[in-house]
Amino acid sequence: MDSLRIYSPAGGIGTPSRSLAPSPEVLAGRRLAILDNGKPNAVLVMQRWADRLAERAGVEFVGVFQKGSAATPCEPELLAEIQARADLVLTGSAD
Amino acid sequence: MTEAQSVESAAASQEPDLLLAEASPEALLDMYEERGWGDGLPLIPPTAERVDEMLAAGGEAAPDAVVATLAPRFGIATRRILAVNAVLAGCRPGTFPVLVTAIRALARPEVNLRGVNATTHPVAPLLIVHGVAVDACGFNAGLGTFGPGNRANAAVGRAVRLVLLHVAGARPGDGDASTQGQPSKYAYCIAENAAATPWDTYPRSLGIDAESAVTIHCGENPHNFHDMENDEAAPILDKAASVMATLGSNNAPVSSAEFFVVLGPEHAATIARKGWSRADVQSYLFERARLPAGMFRESFDVVQYRPWQKALLDDDLMPITDHPDNVRVLVAGGPGKHSCVIPSWGMTKSVTLPLEP
Repeated sequence: MDSLRIYSPAGGIGTPSRSLAPSPEVLAGRRLAILDNGKPNAVLVMQRWADRLAERAGVEFVGVFQKGSAATPCEPELLAEIQARADLVLTGSAD
Repeated sequence: MTEAQSVESAAASQEPDLLLAEASPEALLDMYEERGWGDGLPLIPPTAERVDEMLAAGGEAAPDAVVATLAPRFGIATRRILAVNAVLAGCRPGTFPVLVTAIRALARPEVNLRGVNATTHPVAPLLIVHGVAVDACGFNAGLGTFGPGNRANAAVGRAVRLVLLHVAGARPGDGDASTQGQPSKYAYCIAENAAATPWDTYPRSLGIDAESAVTIHCGENPHNFHDMENDEAAPILDKAASVMATLGSNNAPVSSAEFFVVLGPEHAATIARKGWSRADVQSYLFERARLPAGMFRESFDVVQYRPWQKALLDDDLMPITDHPDNVRVLVAGGPGKHSCVIPSWGMTKSVTLPLEP
């Protein structure tokens, strides 16, 4: 049977890929925040992590920031506030 | 290189870039399955000839013109890529402008496509075709508009899904976390039955005065309701309200979310014959689709409500949506006293655009 040349369906990716920020070599003294997306129990899990990181690695926990919805990006003004007050952020999404 | 140049560079693809070793439907399906592409159903090979024919139906715009960038993969939907997916789906070239307009609508920020694609909710975008394009392109606005059986409804609806899979990256388990999915994730396309609409057509009710238009509403599968007995508007709409007032949809915790109420022609005729306008229907459903505020509070910790809703007492009846304008009413389907309600995913708004190739 003959072969066929066809187009692939996916196309390119538009937004240049972002590289991860380098991990800090030392956590002690770093300011840690939680960005809570409002999913049930998310902040509970992240708070436990934050407590352990403070206890074991010496981070300074600066508080929980609440974004408007799990389904929409973090508000720019909230992001700016977090950037000003924290060096590290715990965040995530789950149900 | 600027970001715009980077986008154009990534978009440029003049020649077919895959070799299908054996020109058989089975070989194409196997190739796609190996690459994690496709929707599991047989496909039409997107050869240069077929893609060029599809592009020609969309007017003079350049094949590499970018229609949209689609989340969560941020894939570039050029006209050529859309034509490839339209061919795969079995679209006739005449329907290509509908697909292009639908993708343009999906990329509007108010749709929140990244959330729509990535959520655990089963949401699928419903494409509604309005106006001259319905008959001109062979869409079915009458009996069985939601399916099955009409090529334009099925193929264009399927093409939208293929674009979301291939370009937007919304693959189950990858960019699409939908727990169970839903059948409308295969194809979800209907047409407005303008001839059976006793009011302005849906686009005209929004102030859009175009020969043809396309609406995108991101929501659940249709929830049927039927009324075979009543010759008054209120009892028919009470059934719609009963379907709307459920704790099980995302409309319950997100009060700004829309409902699409798709009335069958006979229900619409009965309602209008009693002197009800579309606005009357919206207001009545806003009034009737309610549950005690305490029930919402018991069921949801995380909500998006207006301040006045939060001030209601537990025994006060709270509307399932916070404004009558969130109840979107149109007519589609054929004979038989059935209608349906399509709840929203929640953090999304419908978009209606004039048809543009």
